Amino acid sequence: MTAAVRAKASRADRLRLVGQPVAVLLLVGGVLLWAATRDLDSIEKVNLAPPKIVRDTWDHLVISVVVTALVVVVAVPLGIAVTRRWARWAAPIVLGVATVGQAAPSVGVLVLFFLWTEWEGLWAAVLPIALYSLLPVLRNTVVGIRGVDPALVEAGRGIGMSAGAVLRRIELPLAVPLILAGLRTSLVLAVGTATLAAFVNGGGLGLLIDTGYKLNRSTVLITGAVLAVGLALLVDWLGALAERSLGPKGLR
Amino acid sequence: MTEHTGVEIRLDHVTKRYPGQEAPAVDDVSMTLPAGRITVFVGPSGCGKTTTMKMINRLIEPTSGTITMGGEDVLSMDPDKLRRRIGYAIQQAGLFPHLTVAQNIGVVPGLLGWDKSRVADRVREMLDLVGLDDDFAGRFPRSLSGGQQQRVGVARALAADPPVLLMDEPFGAVDPITRGNLQDELLNLQSELGKTIVFVTHDFDEAVKLGDRIAVLGPRSRVLQYDTPEAILANPADDTVAGFVGAGASLKQLTLLRVRDVEVDRDSAVTASAVDSVADLRTRMTGRGAQWALVLDRRNRPSRWVHARDLAAATSLAAVGKPVGDSVSLKSTLQDALEAILTEGGNAVVTGSRGEYLGTIGLETVTAVIARLRDEHAEVES
Amino acid sequence: MSLWEFIAQRWDRLLPEAALHASAVIQCTAIAAVAGVALGVAVYRSPTGSALATALTSAILTVPSFALLGLLIPVLGLGVPPTVVALVLYALLPIVRNTIVGLAGVDPAITDAARGIGMNRLRVLTRVELRLAWPAILAGIRVSTQLLMGIAAIAAYAKGPGLGTEIFSGLARAGSANATNQALAGTIGIVVLALVVDGLYVLVARLTVSRGIRD
Repeated sequence: MTAAVRAKASRADRLRLVGQPVAVLLLVGGVLLWAATRDLDSIEKVNLAPPKIVRDTWDHLVISVVVTALVVVVAVPLGIAVTRRWARWAAPIVLGVATVGQAAPSVGVLVLFFLWTEWEGLWAAVLPIALYSLLPVLRNTVVGIRGVDPALVEAGRGIGMSAGAVLRRIELPLAVPLILAGLRTSLVLAVGTATLAAFVNGGGLGLLIDTGYKLNRSTVLITGAVLAVGLALLVDWLGALAERSLGPKGLR
Repeated sequence: MTEHTGVEIRLDHVTKRYPGQEAPAVDDVSMTLPAGRITVFVGPSGCGKTTTMKMINRLIEPTSGTITMGGEDVLSMDPDKLRRRIGYAIQQAGLFPHLTVAQNIGVVPGLLGWDKSRVADRVREMLDLVGLDDDFAGRFPRSLSGGQQQRVGVARALAADPPVLLMDEPFGAVDPITRGNLQDELLNLQSELGKTIVFVTHDFDEAVKLGDRIAVLGPRSRVLQYDTPEAILANPADDTVAGFVGAGASLKQLTLLRVRDVEVDRDSAVTASAVDSVADLRTRMTGRGAQWALVLDRRNRPSRWVHARDLAAATSLAAVGKPVGDSVSLKSTLQDALEAILTEGGNAVVTGSRGEYLGTIGLETVTAVIARLRDEHAEVES
Repeated sequence: MSLWEFIAQRWDRLLPEAALHASAVIQCTAIAAVAGVALGVAVYRSPTGSALATALTSAILTVPSFALLGLLIPVLGLGVPPTVVALVLYALLPIVRNTIVGLAGVDPAITDAARGIGMNRLRVLTRVELRLAWPAILAGIRVSTQLLMGIAAIAAYAKGPGLGTEIFSGLARAGSANATNQALAGTIGIVVLALVVDGLYVLVARLTVSRGIRD
């Protein structure tokens, strides 16, 4: 990447860092105010009651957070494993499977998991979404560790570090920026896909959208959709903040 | 020099001022660049020499002043049409990486609306002119060496036969030996074509070697001295120019003298063709008392040096001996010849414009010239 | 009934759905490619413009597709219109970003040479800059297509065309005999389409990227 290209990218990042929370506040505040000032019938009143909205939002967040935690716990170690000498042969297979998996539509994965297991609720949503959100973290972990200059690894071994120490103190820290970027992508994917959890009775803001659509109540539909947009932008923004503050300082 | 096709360029009180900058980048430059000659702009980096050059093809628009080319006012022409009449070659050639060598060379004729067969003919002609084989036509720039890319760059600049050629440090990014060869080739070309060439460099030796006229430029493109290389070397206008010319001016004059100016020894070496018999060559060498012989290829170009002891076991002349390294042409400077002599560790081979063998030049010839120059210089200074 | 029997039996329905799915994705990618490249060309010289376009299109990509679809239904109704708008919007970011990156990555010496030998701005753009940026742009288009394959499935919720219909109708009939087969046929169909189209892109790249700049 040339310096000019990088400068443009970082400028766009800064713009979003400032613009996104403002957009979230305007969107969420605006839609809540709009919904509150409208004449609501009884169905709308039930679905847009503050405790209901808070619960749907909370459910949505829980799904996203559990998915992300699962992704970190599974994808990062898996990514590390396939970059080790003894498992290097597995890397193309794992990445290949993950890539083909990513080509599957999220809604299809979710529905199939539901039909096969007949589970409902939180885990029926979390597991397929996690499976689906795995790839960005997995791929970035592998690419990040592989991208570490072999000379640095050699230098580490040369001064007497064990293989584990080289991983912990050289390879992982240098791969962290890429892993975090992958995690942010996964997180956004998870929040987005969590809107589909309503299809398997997993709750979340998708419920408001689905209800609004099925019962032909635009107010409910729009409120749910705008809140989901706001939540996604907010989570993405938090991810950007985390990326900035958690990356190794020397690489920034 | 043959009849020239170039036209005179005149810069008259040309100034370039960038908005928001106190001092002009180019301040009131007036200069007449003679038709059919090479004028070199030389000066430290950032002095505005490239800016001055780029105002001639209006890649940079002058803030004030006039520029004429063959009497025509450049500033009143359509800039794109103007540029199609001015060849342009830059550092690292600026070749289009997605186009083949042939397509690169054919771009300007294409822009001028030439038909396909005429463009194809022209491409072949240009490849031949810059000394590249026909099979380069279909290759892409990234598969060429730096020197080959520069040759294609020059071929592209000359493709539409423009009267004027602008060259912005065209040989800046190649190794010194290739650079020397490219400079020789440019001089050869120029003696055939007679273009008006504006050549920008920060290398004074290059300026001395190539320039018919040199403009030494200072900050804001101020003309410190504008004269022939000989005059500048002999008589720097002020301390700045003298500093730029540098020490060892008499040695530097070796770069002013060409191999053609001194005696080339036309039959110093025993020569043979690759198909000649070994026995025949051995007889001839013994007859002349020679240790070394030069094997020429089918096109009479020098290919290998063969020592008498190589011949003892040889059955054919095709692959014995060591390849000829550096050779020089009649247009090469004596400094190049000196370098070639030193790297070859003996006489350097002199070749003609098509690479054919002409003779050799030895160390004693060059030292004689140095001695003569030193004497002349001492007389001037005393 | 096994999956294969199901597919064989429903072939006459699955095939047109697959065709509709592919054609919706490809047409929307094409629209987004034209719009995205135009947008990229319009802003790439201005740092602020580039930053704005990138920030805006990446914010769009963050929006959950189901939510965007939900927002489009009250405005555009059901069927093709919300599908096309949603798909085109999502396809924009990779194309715009890669166009900007590709154009900004062109060596200034090459554009300088192009201008110097007498190409006007439009020619420099179409014959040099866009050609050199094309591998990056094509990569963006390819990513967009993959993205749209999955999002088009969700658009079936708003009665959009394509294989998503099978998935949603499988969901609606949960418990009945062929529900799983239906969802499976839809999902696998989309995976197959995605892989086939991805293969086509490799072919397109071979045909359209000059050998001089191919990796």
